[in-house]
Amino acid sequence: MAKKILTREEVHHLAKLAKLTLTEVEIKKYQKQLSETLDYVENLKEIETDNITSDFYTTKARDVFFKDKMSHERILSDEEVMANAKRKSRNLFIVKRIL
Amino acid sequence: MEILGKSVTELIGMLKSKKISSEELYSYFIRRIKKYNPKLNAFLTVPNRGDWGDKGLLLGIPLAIKDNFCTKGVRTTASSKVLDNFIPPYESTVTQKLKDNGALLLGKTNMDAWAHGSSTETSDYGPTRNPHDLTRVPGGSSGGSAAAVSAYLSPAAIGSETAGSIRGPAAWCGVVGLKPTYGRVSRYGVIAMGSSLDCPGLMTQTTEDAALILQVLVGKDPYDATTVDMDVPDYCNKIKRKEKLTVGVAEDYFDGVDDEIKNKVYRCIDTMKQMGHKMKNVRLLHPKYSISVYTIIQRAEVSSNLARYDGIRYGNGRYAFGQEAKKRIMLGSYTLSHGYYEDYYKKAQKVRALIVEDFNRVFKEVDVVISPTMPVSALKIGESEKYPFFGEKMDALHEPAALAGIPAISIPVGLDKNNLPIGMQIIGRHFDEETILNLAYQFEKETGFFGVLKKGLEKYKD
Repeated sequence: MAKKILTREEVHHLAKLAKLTLTEVEIKKYQKQLSETLDYVENLKEIETDNITSDFYTTKARDVFFKDKMSHERILSDEEVMANAKRKSRNLFIVKRIL
Repeated sequence: MEILGKSVTELIGMLKSKKISSEELYSYFIRRIKKYNPKLNAFLTVPNRGDWGDKGLLLGIPLAIKDNFCTKGVRTTASSKVLDNFIPPYESTVTQKLKDNGALLLGKTNMDAWAHGSSTETSDYGPTRNPHDLTRVPGGSSGGSAAAVSAYLSPAAIGSETAGSIRGPAAWCGVVGLKPTYGRVSRYGVIAMGSSLDCPGLMTQTTEDAALILQVLVGKDPYDATTVDMDVPDYCNKIKRKEKLTVGVAEDYFDGVDDEIKNKVYRCIDTMKQMGHKMKNVRLLHPKYSISVYTIIQRAEVSSNLARYDGIRYGNGRYAFGQEAKKRIMLGSYTLSHGYYEDYYKKAQKVRALIVEDFNRVFKEVDVVISPTMPVSALKIGESEKYPFFGEKMDALHEPAALAGIPAISIPVGLDKNNLPIGMQIIGRHFDEETILNLAYQFEKETGFFGVLKKGLEKYKD
């Protein structure tokens, strides 16, 4: 398989998807580093996996269900919820307007 | 009363017989932190003393906690400036259990930012230094916890592992590091990295301490659905049984490992034979495939987990992410993208299933598998930049067990020509921590870990 080289646009797009701001220098660096990583993981193609269903659990864990009601023991007070916010007004978080 | 180098178990004995008080013990470690932390940078935050309870297995024992465990009212940063001023409004299950058992929070330890790394150099608060050689890194990501135990700034410490973050720094700092089975210890309140891999664990000076602290941490937690409800053995008793075990050795796990480390582990194999254990060569999938599986899965989970840091409800904005986090988020975003999901993430999950099967097959023939913990001994600060793909390669021998969710322990087995510690890991079956602890304990009794811990303390007198 040919070496995969991510284009400047691809890296820029990924940063946008992940809401990250990159400098030109970073974009160049990540083009190289991300391509190297994608190149390395190509070795998985050497392993035959056609008959395998993907495995998402490694242990004996089973689905866990909760009753559809509030659990009071973990409720935080308004004050606790807001304590770490940088921009707030009374009990509201201030965010950038979207409209 | 000499305290230096006493194990948690010994300290508990001293507290019980009133040879020292909890206050004295706490002040002792605070004094040592004040004296040595400026050099080592192992602790990021040392809060005011909390209260200890009046009962529990760890009554009166101060402990260092990696800074990715939420501690109510005590700053928790995961070594990232994104969380520079984050004060958790709740307690992680692990720290709650420690508190419930009478332990005290000594301080929060430095790590690679978000646990992304294998050297503690990616911390936004500067690297931790290896107590055995201050020009070198302690390994990572739980580097601060490992250094704290190695220099006896804490009698034991809590770390966490996604793949290698406990075993790696334990090996490089010459202490015991245990990564339990995935699902054995609750992840509730641990700042998430790779959710299908993350595993809280511990670092200690002795195997007995590891068994004791594990006893406190394990169990089903309603707040972490991946924890499993099953019987918990009495680890401290179980490790003292003189089991004769069949020990697997996988040749591919010695591939690319430094000769000095290889030879040391081969000598340990001889020692185990003399102790009456049966050694058996086994074949396991080459770790180079685990590197790829791990890289894909972990980056994907990172990109999802780190999406929550928006700077709105807590912390700073996404501008504060460091280089390594950005790189991982973007790779994860790429492999999870439309059109690439099958090629990368799904393929990786399938190979992961093969790795699980591979271990299951081998564990029908042997009780444990041993290998070197790290391919080289501790690198110089800054040296990792010369290694492309550094973290992945350093963690190559940890990734198979991490992906399979099985437990493993790293123990000190000697020093290299530069007087740097060498570690050997023992990997076990799902939920069979007692067998790997059992072998580690027997080995410790036989060899005294070759005096590695004592050697580490020579430069850190009271």
